[in-house]
Amino acid sequence: MNLKFLIVDDSQTMRRIVANSLKNLGYEDFVEAGDGKEALVKLAADDKINFVITDWNMPVLSGLELIKAIRSDEKMGKLPVLMVTTRGVKEDIIEALKAKVNNYVVKPFTPAILREKIDQIIANTGGGN
Amino acid sequence: MMSSDNISQLFSKLNDLKKVFSYGEKLIPILNSLGEFMKDTVPLLENINKSIAESTSKIPKATNQIQSVTSATEMATTEILDLVDSLNADLSDIEKTMLDVLNKEVDKKEFLLNLIPMLNVKNAETFIKDFLIKNSSSERLGELLLQIGKMKTDSNSITISLQVQDITAQQLATVNHLIESVQERLSSLIADLDNNPIPEEHDTKVNLPAGASFDPNARYSRSEVPQQEVDSIFNKEMQTASQDEIDKLFN
Repeated sequence: MNLKFLIVDDSQTMRRIVANSLKNLGYEDFVEAGDGKEALVKLAADDKINFVITDWNMPVLSGLELIKAIRSDEKMGKLPVLMVTTRGVKEDIIEALKAKVNNYVVKPFTPAILREKIDQIIANTGGGN
Repeated sequence: MMSSDNISQLFSKLNDLKKVFSYGEKLIPILNSLGEFMKDTVPLLENINKSIAESTSKIPKATNQIQSVTSATEMATTEILDLVDSLNADLSDIEKTMLDVLNKEVDKKEFLLNLIPMLNVKNAETFIKDFLIKNSSSERLGELLLQIGKMKTDSNSITISLQVQDITAQQLATVNHLIESVQERLSSLIADLDNNPIPEEHDTKVNLPAGASFDPNARYSRSEVPQQEVDSIFNKEMQTASQDEIDKLFN
């Protein structure tokens, strides 16, 4: 299926690394946002986005708050979301799960891990919203 | 006339008075020393106060310098990513060209082998096969393509290693926050020295601001263990979630 990714990270470097990794995995279609609020604006403006990869710690609106906002929205509530973050402690993972994240990757990641998690999410959700 | 009792009482009180004076005589040098000590200590305290004030005023400069380190490393990382992208693009072009050459090599070999039955020349088959063996580049091209594949893997590995920039940026943001917290406490201490007694505080924990955009525990590790631990917790917690919650999540 055709996936259009929204990469959300306040670090320009990380957005670029995620984008490069996606290119290496054969995905060419993606847009970027620097925080959760900008991500929500991009999601509202582009209904072709059907996969979100987000960092946790960001200014303005965090990744966790972004997931909660997505899940509480009637239109995009089922959008697949992958969290890519430095936060790897149990409490954080549970908090992300409670917010209904679809999967969780800890930084630094490898393209192989990214592929594995994207494939798992697509297999479990059918992908898209 | 004074009675003998009254005289005894008078002597007793005079004795007490004598003891007080003699105690006072012993106290005077101590009080003098205390006075000297206070005279020495006051400039010392003023120096400490001044030093704290100077250190506090330098803290904003230190936080700015840390911030500029983060900006510089981000800029350098972007430049490295640009170079890696350019390198990958060049490698992809070379790979494509070499694959074309390899395909043409195969076509050439096939053409020459198909030519043998058409040629009515003695030893044509031996001659052409010998020519193909001596002039074949397929094997070498295959090796070079493998080397290009390895170079692309290495350049991707450089990209992955550059995640260290984001992680160190978060560590520096944490250090900046700690320095700013120390500045706040020192400023408060200076105010206390000027006006009020310093309250005794035992709480050394620095609270992070709500919604901090950095992770104070960010660490760079190429080990697979952190992700394995995350997967283990994620899968375990997913299993303990109710079926209803899972259905809601995936439907």
